[in-house]
Amino acid sequence: MSSMRFAITMLSFVGIASIIGTILKQKQPYESYIIKFGQFWFDIFKHLDLFNVYQAIWFLIILVFLITSTSLCVVRNSPSILREYHKFQDQIREKSLRSFKHSYEIKIPIFNKLNLISLLEKNSFKVRQKSNPSGDLLIVAKKGSFQKLGYIFTHLAIIVISAGGLLDGNLILKTQELLGLKEIQTQDIPLSEIPSKSRLNVNNFSYRANVLLSEGEKQDVGVIPSKDGYLIQELPFSIGLKDFNIEHYSSGQPKSYESDLILTSKSTGKTKEQKISVNKPLTFEGVTIYQSDFQDGGTKLKIMVTDLQSNDKPQTMNAEVFKINNLIYMDQSYSFEFDDFRLFNILDIDSSQKKNSQNVGPNFTYKIRNQSGQANEYQTYQMPMKLDGRYFFVSGMRPTPQEDYKFLKMPADAKGSLEGFFIFKNLLLDKKNIERAINKVILSSSSSKAVNTDNLKLSTSKLFRTFQQGGYNAIALSIDKNIPGTEQESAANAYIKIILLVANQILLDYQSTNILAKFFNFEDLPLFTQDALNAYSDSFFYGTPLFLELKEFEHVQASGLQLTKSPGKFWVYLGSIMLVIGIFCMIYIQEVRLWILKKKNSKNILLTLTTNRHHLTFDSYVDEIKNKINALSKKG
Amino acid sequence: MKDQVSLYNKIFISSLVALASYALIKFHNYMDGYEIAILISSIFAFSWLGFSWANFKNFFITIFLLSFLSIFLYQGNLFIAEEDFFLKYFLSSQSAIMWMSALYPLSLIIYWFHLFNSQEFSGRLASGLVWIATTLGTSGLLIRWYESYLINIDIGHIPISNLYEVFVLFCIITALIYMYYEERIGTKKLGAFILVIINIAVGFLLWYSFAKGAHEIQPLVPALQSYWMKIHVPANFIGYGAFAIAAMVSMAYLVVDKGWLTKYLPEKDVLEDMTYRTIAIGFIFFTIATILGAVWAAEAWGGYWSWDPKETWALIVWLNYAAWLHLRLIKGLRGNLLAWWSIIGLFITAFCFLGVNLFLSGLHSYGEL
Repeated sequence: MSSMRFAITMLSFVGIASIIGTILKQKQPYESYIIKFGQFWFDIFKHLDLFNVYQAIWFLIILVFLITSTSLCVVRNSPSILREYHKFQDQIREKSLRSFKHSYEIKIPIFNKLNLISLLEKNSFKVRQKSNPSGDLLIVAKKGSFQKLGYIFTHLAIIVISAGGLLDGNLILKTQELLGLKEIQTQDIPLSEIPSKSRLNVNNFSYRANVLLSEGEKQDVGVIPSKDGYLIQELPFSIGLKDFNIEHYSSGQPKSYESDLILTSKSTGKTKEQKISVNKPLTFEGVTIYQSDFQDGGTKLKIMVTDLQSNDKPQTMNAEVFKINNLIYMDQSYSFEFDDFRLFNILDIDSSQKKNSQNVGPNFTYKIRNQSGQANEYQTYQMPMKLDGRYFFVSGMRPTPQEDYKFLKMPADAKGSLEGFFIFKNLLLDKKNIERAINKVILSSSSSKAVNTDNLKLSTSKLFRTFQQGGYNAIALSIDKNIPGTEQESAANAYIKIILLVANQILLDYQSTNILAKFFNFEDLPLFTQDALNAYSDSFFYGTPLFLELKEFEHVQASGLQLTKSPGKFWVYLGSIMLVIGIFCMIYIQEVRLWILKKKNSKNILLTLTTNRHHLTFDSYVDEIKNKINALSKKG
Repeated sequence: MKDQVSLYNKIFISSLVALASYALIKFHNYMDGYEIAILISSIFAFSWLGFSWANFKNFFITIFLLSFLSIFLYQGNLFIAEEDFFLKYFLSSQSAIMWMSALYPLSLIIYWFHLFNSQEFSGRLASGLVWIATTLGTSGLLIRWYESYLINIDIGHIPISNLYEVFVLFCIITALIYMYYEERIGTKKLGAFILVIINIAVGFLLWYSFAKGAHEIQPLVPALQSYWMKIHVPANFIGYGAFAIAAMVSMAYLVVDKGWLTKYLPEKDVLEDMTYRTIAIGFIFFTIATILGAVWAAEAWGGYWSWDPKETWALIVWLNYAAWLHLRLIKGLRGNLLAWWSIIGLFITAFCFLGVNLFLSGLHSYGEL
C-alpha cells in the first residue's frame, strides 16, 4: 500500500471523482435531478452518492487510503533520508571516485588544507576530513542536504492537510448517521418539533451551518443542509439581526452586503454588537460568522387586483412575501403565493447598445393557484420600462420554473401609470361605448356612399365581440373557419385596421370628454392604441385574467449567514506552509557532494563532484568550483 | 562599468522606495494593513527582480513613465481620452492594450523568420517587439487601474477582476517569463513557439472585447473586494503562464525529437531542462496561489475548501503537475512521455482557467462570457 503505484491510482480516482463532481452540479434539490435525469438514473446516481461526491463515503475512504499510503511512504523512507542527511560518505574508495562523471585530477603546487576547506565553506559546503593510516587525506563535503528534507516536508504536508480536511469533514456525522444516532430531517416542520435525533449539540467541534434572519429576528440554532434534508445545529450564542443593508454602485450593481448583528453568549451572557460584510467576518465564542446570502424577509405588499378581461372594480389586497392570500372571484377560488420581492433589478434591456445594464426598479414574484391546484408563476415589475422607445408595464408568466418567462407588456399612459390602459380596457369592454365608436367610424369613412351601413355596423360589432372574447387570436380562428384561404390575408388586414380605427375612436371620445384627466396625448394615441390592443389580446395567454399591480410596499430583508467552526483550518494552513517550504527545497536546492582526495606524496588532488539530479546548470557549477580551486592552488 | 551598473541599481531602488513612501503617505487612509504590507513587500520584490535582471529594470521604468504620462494627460478627467491625441491613440488603457495586441502577432512572425534565417538582427527585433508589446500591455493595465478610479472613486480597483483583464495579465506574464528564459538560455529560437500561445490569448482578447464589449470597466462584486485578489490572481497567472511556456517548449522538444527543424532549434537537453524549470516555477506559484485562494475563501465564503468547480480543477491541475515532477525528480524520467504530458497539462490548465468559467457554474462565476 505504500507503493507509488497505489498512491497514483488513488490520486487518479480522486481526480476522476472530482471531475464528476464539477460536471454534475452538486447539492441541488433532488427534484431537479429527477427532472434532469429521470427516475432511473436518479436512483443510480443517488446510490453512488454522485449528488454529493465530496462527502460520499467512498470518496472519504479513498482519501483515508491516500493518507495511509502517504504516511507509510514517509515512515518507510524518512529514516534513510535522515541518515543520509547527517552522513558524510567518507568510506568511499578512490576507484569509485574516479568512476563518477565529474572527477578531475588537478595539479596543486602548494597544498594548503585550511584554505581549501575555508574555500569550500565559503561556497556553503559542510566539510569533514579524514586521513587514513597511509597518510592520504580525504576531504568530504556536501551541501544542499535540505533538498532531501523537502521530500519529508512535502509528504508530511499532504498528510497534515488531508488530516485537517478530514477533521472538518463530516466523517463523524456520517458514522453517527450509520449507527442510527443521528437522522437527517426531511420534513419542513417547526423548530420546536424537531427531534433531538436531528439536532447537533453545542459541543459539535466542527460544522458549517446556515442561519437566515429577517430584520428584527433572533435565533440560537443553525441549519446544516444535508442530502435531501437538514440537521439543526445548536449554537453557543443567540444571534439577532438588527439591520441588513445592500449598498449599490451608481450603476445599480450591488456594492456591499452588510448585516448589523447582536450576539449574546448563552454561557456568559456577554453581548456584542458588530457589523459584518462579505470578506469581513466576525469570530465569536470560537464560531466565525460570515455574510453569505440574502433574501426577502417577508416584505409587506399592497396590491391592486384588476381583471384585465372585464370592467369589474379592482380590489385591493394586503399581502406579505412567503405568505398566501386567498381570493374568491367570479365563483372561482384563487390562492396567491408570494415568493419574493426585489427592490433592485439590474436588467440589460435596451438591445441597441452593447451593454446597458440599468436598474428597472422593484419586482415581486408569486404563483397563482387555481381550484384544481394548478399554478403559474408570475414576476411583475412595479415601474414601467422603456422598450422600443416607449414605456411599458411588464409582467412575466411561466407555467413551470424550467421555462423562461413570457412577458405581458401593457403601455404606460401619459402620466406614466397603468390607469390609462385600464381605462382603455374598460371602454373596450363597454358594449354601448363600442357601438357608439363604431357608428362614428363608419359614418366618417363612408359618409358619401351610404352603402348598407347597417350591415357593416353589424359585422363590425360582431368582430369586436370576437375580439373582446379572445383578442387577435380569436379573430384569426374565426377567419380560418369562415373565410376561404385566398382572402384570409386581406380580411385579416381589414379587420385589424377596423379594430385600430374603432379603438382609436374610443380613446378620442374619452379624451374629448375628460380633458382634464390627461391620461393620453393626442400625438401618441395611435401607438398607444396599438400597444393597448396588443396587451389586451396577449392577456388571453397570461394564464389568468387577474393582474396584480404593486401599489406600495414595506421592504423587509433577511440576511443569510454562515457559521463555521473549523478546527482543521489551523492544520490545513500549517500543512500548506510545510508544502511550500518542501516544494521549494525539492526544486530549488540542489544537493551536491564533493570529495577531494590528496594522496600523501602526490602533487595532484582528485576532485569529484556528484549531484542526485542532473540539471544543465550543474556542469557550469562544476566548472566554477574547479576554477576556484585552481585559482586557490596558485596562491597557495 | 560595474560602478555604473550599481549606481543605476541604487537609483532604481531608491526611486522605488521614494515612490512607495509617497503612495503610503498620500493614500494610507484608503489602504488596510494588508494592502500596506503588500505595497512594502512589492518594493522588495521589484528591487530583487530589477537587481537580478537588468532588462526588467528598464521595463519597469518605462512602464512607470508611460503610466505617469497618461495620468498627467488625463488631468483627472476620463473624457479627455476622446479629445487628446496621445490618449486616444496610444495611452488610454484600451489603446495601449490594442497596440499590445498588434505587436505580439508581429513579433510572432519575426520570430518565425528568425527561426530559419538566424540573423541576429531579426532575433533582436522580435525580442524588442515583445518587450514593447509587454510594456504597453502592462502600462495599459496600470492606466486602466487609474481610469477605474476616474469613473467613480468607489468603482476603482486593480484590473485583474474579469476575464478580459486577466487575459491581458496572462499575455504579459507569459511574455515576461519567456523573456527571462530567453536571456538565460541565450537563444531566441523558442519565441516562434512561445508567441503562439500568447497570440492565441490575444486572439481571444480581441474577440472578447469586440464581440462582447468586455473591455468596459465594471465595478467589483462584493466577494472580490479584498486585498487577497492582489496576490491570489497574479500568483495564479504566473503559474498559468509558466505552464503554458512549458507546454510550448515541450512541443519544440517533440519537433526536435522527430528530427524536424533540428538545425534551427536548441538541443533536446536544453528544451527538456527549460520545460522542467518552467513547470517548477509554475508549480510553486500555482501552489502558493491555490493556498492563498483557500485562505481567501475561508475569509469570504466561510470555508477554505468548498469543492467549488474552480477549486476542484485547481486541485486537478496541481495533482497533474505534482505527478509530472514526481516522475522527473524521484523516478528520474526524461523524454517524450513528459513532453506529451506537459502539453496535455496545458489543456487541463486551460480548462481550469477558462473552461470552468465557460461550462461550469460556481462561486468563481464573475468571469462569465
